[in-house]
Amino acid sequence: MDVFLPIAQVFVNPIEILLLSAIVGVLSGLFGVGGGFLMTPFLIFLGVPPAYAVANEANNILATSVSGSTTHYLKNTLDYKMGFMIVIGGTIGTTLGIITFSYFKGIGKIDTVISLAYMYILAIIGTLMLVESLNEIDRAKRNLVVKKKLHVHYWIHGLPLRMRFPKSKLYESIFTPIIIGLLVGFIAAIMGIGGAFILVPAMIYIIKMPTKLVPGTSLFVTIFVSVIVTFLHSFNYGSIDLMLVLMLVIGSIIGVQIGQKLGEKIDSSGLRALLAILLLVVGIAIAYDTFFAEQIQKEIISIPNSDLNFFSTFILEFSKDMPFFYGLFSIMFAILLGVAAAFIRRFVSNFKKKMLLKS
Amino acid sequence: MYLSNIKIIKKINEAKAAIIKTGIFMSLAAYWGVILVGTFITFN
Repeated sequence: MDVFLPIAQVFVNPIEILLLSAIVGVLSGLFGVGGGFLMTPFLIFLGVPPAYAVANEANNILATSVSGSTTHYLKNTLDYKMGFMIVIGGTIGTTLGIITFSYFKGIGKIDTVISLAYMYILAIIGTLMLVESLNEIDRAKRNLVVKKKLHVHYWIHGLPLRMRFPKSKLYESIFTPIIIGLLVGFIAAIMGIGGAFILVPAMIYIIKMPTKLVPGTSLFVTIFVSVIVTFLHSFNYGSIDLMLVLMLVIGSIIGVQIGQKLGEKIDSSGLRALLAILLLVVGIAIAYDTFFAEQIQKEIISIPNSDLNFFSTFILEFSKDMPFFYGLFSIMFAILLGVAAAFIRRFVSNFKKKMLLKS
Repeated sequence: MYLSNIKIIKKINEAKAAIIKTGIFMSLAAYWGVILVGTFITFN
């Protein structure tokens, strides 16, 4: 049973999208990273054009990061000041990323650029994760304890304009979070990802934030980056398809909640190697698709408006007639779903605690 | 006899680990080779 996406102009199987986004959500909830850069390639494999996959996945990331961020807000594990500094850099980076995206779209190379970007990013992350997890397993087998220096200073720690960050108990240059935000925003705009795989290690190893504040602050930054990416993609290219976004958001929100619960119960260090292999396999698949698979000219399916259902017609007309409000609507839709998911999870969690106390 | 058995088992385990590590390294090298060559050909 295939569903026609009115904006992307392709048929997709909704069950495949829901299942895939749920599985990717579980992985992302379990490991804290991996949502965007797994889901976008999967969407491309399912036949969604890369430029549309990027934009719609950015909208999906908005919902999941709002959901996760709300949970952290309720637990008070967010450093807003640090988050806003990173967002300043993220805004500049996203704008530069969209300009770059527009340039490559103008010369007709955007699909190749996105595929290449994913190939390299997946290859780099997969390789680093695989090497790190294998070293960890090796050290654990030999019962080796590695002594690390308490403080390691790089050139970035000598930058001017220092500021106090009371929640993280840090006193450092504002250029550090701004530069990191710039890089994250740039990559997010081109690839349609949240950037957590850069943000999280950068916050831990470069900014030296306390680990408990990192996931919440990273999700907080991702909200702003993905809002800007979603809005600019929607307004400039009209590539947000609410039908696809709805399927992605429902699947991934459910998946992330399951993944976070699983993460509390199981030790994920051994699974990191498997995730690394998965990333490399996806990278290989993209490489095969880009370099070796026959470039089949996909027939552009244009279905007359009279054949579209009410929902599809509404989306098509809304996006054409009022692109600005359509963009705003997609953002608000994702935010509302994300907040609702966080509060439902909290309600269920409190309810379970009450039931346990009673019994 | 018992000690030499333990030594042999240790050596076999070390050899296994070395073979696995070499295999992983070769696979990663091949993977990177393919994508670098593919990129070069695409942009030529």
